[in-house]
Amino acid sequence: MEQKDDIYYIEKVLAGQTNYFSYIVERYQDVVFSIALKVLRNRDDAQEMAQESFIKAYKSLSSFKGTAKFSTWLYRITYNNCISELRKRKIHFASTDDVDLKDEAEEVNLDGIPEENRAKAIKEAMDRLPEDEYTLILLYYFEDQSVEEISKVTQLSESNTKVKLFRARKKLYTILNEMMKDELYTIL
Amino acid sequence: MNELEDIKLKALLQSMKLEKPDPGFSAMVMNSIFKESNALEQIKAQRILGKGFWIILALFLLLAVVVYAMGNAGIQPEGKLEQLVPGMENGIQSFTSRIGTIPLSVAGILIASSVLLFIDRFISSNSKLFAH
Repeated sequence: MEQKDDIYYIEKVLAGQTNYFSYIVERYQDVVFSIALKVLRNRDDAQEMAQESFIKAYKSLSSFKGTAKFSTWLYRITYNNCISELRKRKIHFASTDDVDLKDEAEEVNLDGIPEENRAKAIKEAMDRLPEDEYTLILLYYFEDQSVEEISKVTQLSESNTKVKLFRARKKLYTILNEMMKDELYTIL
Repeated sequence: MNELEDIKLKALLQSMKLEKPDPGFSAMVMNSIFKESNALEQIKAQRILGKGFWIILALFLLLAVVVYAMGNAGIQPEGKLEQLVPGMENGIQSFTSRIGTIPLSVAGILIASSVLLFIDRFISSNSKLFAH
């Protein structure tokens, strides 16, 4: 359904009805902006980068063949733009391992997080992930993209994507575990 | 990690609210796109070859036709041109023979220079198009 809708708008834009591109912008602006914000860590820069990504997508729209999802194609443009910007600024793309991975991290009880705090907790945990892992988790769980699609966005091999995704998920659980422990200590 | 945990994590992540750009973001993007679109339309509408080029080409073709016609049929019948303009026939013959003596390499250089000038003009007049 989503795919059909995207193609409908793309065809309209390619037929000269540029204003239909606004539907695409509205639909994907949050994810595009979130990726840019995570990588660039500054709202203004992220907004500029998101804008650039949409303009680039618009200009290259005729080269979109439709073999992959439009969202995959757009996220790839965004991700590449952000990485190029970091390279220009000579900032290293963080893929830090500042969170220790523990075996018990796998056993986090998600139901143990109070329902009213879940959205906030998961956002905080996501914010603590490094850029590449944040993007992987966002695309896999939030955007429902397959490993194959994510590998196209990040230009990693599928097996590498799987490994990184596994590690990212484990790290997310570790962070959530720590947050739950901290909360428990606060209550006690 | 079991499948159930994965589904729970997915549900949890999908309940997360993403960071949003400023409220006018979409309009700002569309304004930039319309500007780009207009610029591209203008470039497309611009004629690559100007009036001057066509005049020169027309003159060149005219000259070529005249030289050909005079060389083959134009002057042959009863030397009419010689009667009209005395000395013209010899002049044209001398001119065509001189053209014939231009080495092929010189002609090649002239043609290549023209092509390069044309490409340079084309690129500089469409710099916006090539910048992207």
